[in-house]
Amino acid sequence: MTQDTIAIVKEFVLREFLPGENPDELTDDTPLITGGILDSIATLRLVAFLEEKFGVKFKAHETDSEHLDTLADISALIQTKLG
Amino acid sequence: MGNFISRLTASIQTDSNSPGGITFPKFMLIVLQLAFMLLAMRQFQIENAAFLRLAVLAFGGFLLHAWLPLAYRLPFFLGLSLAGIVLVMGWLNGAWLIGIGLLLIGICHLPLSFLWRIALLLSVGTVLALQRAELLASPWSTAIWPILGSMFMFRLIVYMYDLQHEQAPFNLSRSLSYFFMLPNACFPLFPVVDYKTFRRNYFDADSFHIYQTGVDWMLRGVTQLVIYRLVYYHLTLAPAEVHTGGDLAQFLLANFALYLRVSGLFHLITGLLHLFGFRVPETHHLFFLATSFNDWYRRANIYWKDFMMKVFYFPVYFRIKDYGATWALVLSTMLVFFLTWFLHAYQWFWLRGTILFVPQDFLYWALLGAVVIANSLYEAKWGRTRTLNKSNQSWRNRVSLYLQTLVTFIALCILWSFWTSESITGWLSLWQVLGSDPAAAERNSNPVFNTQSLLVVALLVVVASSTGTIGASGNVPPRKGVSRKIWSPVSITTVKIVLLCLLGIEGIYSQFSPTTATMVLSLRSSHLSRIDTAKMERGYYENLLDVNRFNSQLWEVYSKKPTNWIDVDSSNLKRFVPGFVRTELIPSFAEDTKHGRITINQYGMRDQDYAVAPEPDVFRVAVLGASSVMGWGVGDGETFEALLEERLNRELTHSPYAKYELLNFGVAGYNPPQQLPALEKALSFKPNSVFYIATGREMSRSARYIANTVLDKIAIPYPELNAIVASAGITPDMDETTALRLLEPYGQDILTAIYRRIAGQCRERGIKPVLIFLPQLRDGSWQEETAPSLKVATDEGFVVLDLNGIFRNADIKTIRLAEWDEHPNKTGHQLIASAIYDALLANREAIFSPTRQ
Repeated sequence: MTQDTIAIVKEFVLREFLPGENPDELTDDTPLITGGILDSIATLRLVAFLEEKFGVKFKAHETDSEHLDTLADISALIQTKLG
Repeated sequence: MGNFISRLTASIQTDSNSPGGITFPKFMLIVLQLAFMLLAMRQFQIENAAFLRLAVLAFGGFLLHAWLPLAYRLPFFLGLSLAGIVLVMGWLNGAWLIGIGLLLIGICHLPLSFLWRIALLLSVGTVLALQRAELLASPWSTAIWPILGSMFMFRLIVYMYDLQHEQAPFNLSRSLSYFFMLPNACFPLFPVVDYKTFRRNYFDADSFHIYQTGVDWMLRGVTQLVIYRLVYYHLTLAPAEVHTGGDLAQFLLANFALYLRVSGLFHLITGLLHLFGFRVPETHHLFFLATSFNDWYRRANIYWKDFMMKVFYFPVYFRIKDYGATWALVLSTMLVFFLTWFLHAYQWFWLRGTILFVPQDFLYWALLGAVVIANSLYEAKWGRTRTLNKSNQSWRNRVSLYLQTLVTFIALCILWSFWTSESITGWLSLWQVLGSDPAAAERNSNPVFNTQSLLVVALLVVVASSTGTIGASGNVPPRKGVSRKIWSPVSITTVKIVLLCLLGIEGIYSQFSPTTATMVLSLRSSHLSRIDTAKMERGYYENLLDVNRFNSQLWEVYSKKPTNWIDVDSSNLKRFVPGFVRTELIPSFAEDTKHGRITINQYGMRDQDYAVAPEPDVFRVAVLGASSVMGWGVGDGETFEALLEERLNRELTHSPYAKYELLNFGVAGYNPPQQLPALEKALSFKPNSVFYIATGREMSRSARYIANTVLDKIAIPYPELNAIVASAGITPDMDETTALRLLEPYGQDILTAIYRRIAGQCRERGIKPVLIFLPQLRDGSWQEETAPSLKVATDEGFVVLDLNGIFRNADIKTIRLAEWDEHPNKTGHQLIASAIYDALLANREAIFSPTRQ
């Protein structure tokens, strides 16, 4: 389940924010927010995607590097929300 | 105790793999770099003496902190932070600051609902605001306000936000450390550190990496501060000095580059925090290389951006996103920029105690907000180029990126110049030079640097924003399993720090050319620039209106000034009158000030009453001048004029005169042209001699006064001055910057006309005109005009007494009123009276020979 989630998010991030990039370079612990890949607009687009794809709701304070900095963090948050 | 010692022993024996652990050799490498860093800070007197003391405390604290068991490190850091506050502010002020802080933090943790705690904080905040505005009395010194404000004005908001959303257990040491953070006691401008980041990133990576990043960032900060000084002292121009396109480029570039100070300070602060395990992120990242306005907003003052996003942008966006993502994005961004403007004014209030409202400020944030919204909508629709590996970029992408960077840089320079301009009309007038006659403009241009030097400085500025080794790529710790380079970053950083230290050694930089050596010498100390010094001097003569933003270092000097400090312009001893002279002292005014009693006689002189016509055996002198002659800052009888009169009558007894009378016609704020009507008034008292007291910048002050007289449509009753105005081509419909630009080249002509008229009127009546040059209390660029002014005076027939150098051996703190008011105090006036007495005796024959009118 976790790996599936990571794969879905990774595919979205590569398609929307990193077109043409080598997928192997985007690892589970690549810093997305602190590394400058996800800015505020991209973060909101990612959140909208996650809410729609996984049927979960995010809170404003969750849109930070503690929760969304890496694919692994994002996956963990979604798993928590899905219970 | 035994438990502590066993933990300490375990800590020392640990290796770098345990949290907070470091091996002894690596520790020594950090210590070595810190030793050189301290030397560099001392060589270049980074910021102020208080910071150097704090740096010694911090570096010394690091030596112990790095070996303490992890559990003891936060309490130790807290102790060090509190000690830092006491070290900088003293016991009493430090205790008040800590006490108020504890009250505020305590309210955050009261067992009440969130809303009640917010209401209580607002109530206490309101009382403190009333005290800050001096509407309510407070038992502590005003010196604590800027630091108290910088510790709590934003961090309380972040802290309460995180308390509402965080589940992390409360830790007293951490919470107190967050607010009383060690380097804050020295810096009113402090980055808005995020509480969650402060907590989460604490020793969360290899200790050596954290410490080395701290050293790198401090080096970057020191380098930026030194380059800032180069720009601030030698490259900045006043708007009226911009005559050509080259001057304009220099003005824009230098103005924008002044931001290096904020970046330098913030690097220094966050670097220092790293030494205690706080792996906080970068505050600025290659900000001069932004490729768009959005990119600038992301790179410059990142903490502020994160604060606004976290506390305002995301909460508002999530609340309204159901109305449509685009609308939510636009409205949230608008709110962020509106609040940025508002919070800027809020910050100004806590630091200065006054309300800030200038139209450029509002327009700047509105304009920046508009372009960021446009940029955001574009990016939301079309995306922006991102890459995981920069080396993969094609040359086309790179060229495009370079062009975007260049265009953004130029646009930001222009926008920045608008924000920091003194007035909108002044800013608009800057651009008129692009359409002016190049040959004429070139004659007036006086660029400090040539084009090549300008390019070198531009390059230095860009390099300065990226200096460092580990820190240059942000603060991302090495991935697990990736080997950590040690020697490369350490050796590069050490070499850079040592080079900086060597540059600051007199024996080395004095080997360069005199120009370079003088420039390096200037970089070794913190002082006001030529432009800010001139502004402060203007404040000495007239009410200073434009120190109303963080656009120069002058605000820091004025931030120490108590809000109830009465300066000469707010003392109400003057009144406006129609005509060229504009103001005069109010006859028969009397008031007790904190400097002593001020009494104005029935004729509008700060003096005792005299008969209009002197007795036959009296030698009467009319003393003309500005505030120092009038004696702002001392009581009646303590002005140098009164002291001199008393001494002449006491000691100069073997003379043809039974009595000496010195009539004080000094009026605070008077410029040289105003001495013409003052002389006319003085002549009615039939003096034997006129002492004209000149105090510096005679030419530029004259030009400014005449320019403002024309702009205010006040008639000039002197044909020779009107002829100069006509030659310069200034008209009442111009803005001040343009008028000054046109008139300042005529400064010497204006002064010649003034001196000629004064000397001529004296000669007609057989009066001895004497010009006494009274220097300002400290050396400065005002001296540039002294020699030509004195030559004009000599040529026009004045007996010139040059008092230059009388303050050189005096400690300025003992002879001035205050740091923000450099009028001479009682001791200063005694010194002046004594110097004039000696000069008069040396020229006794020329001055006191009987030539009664």
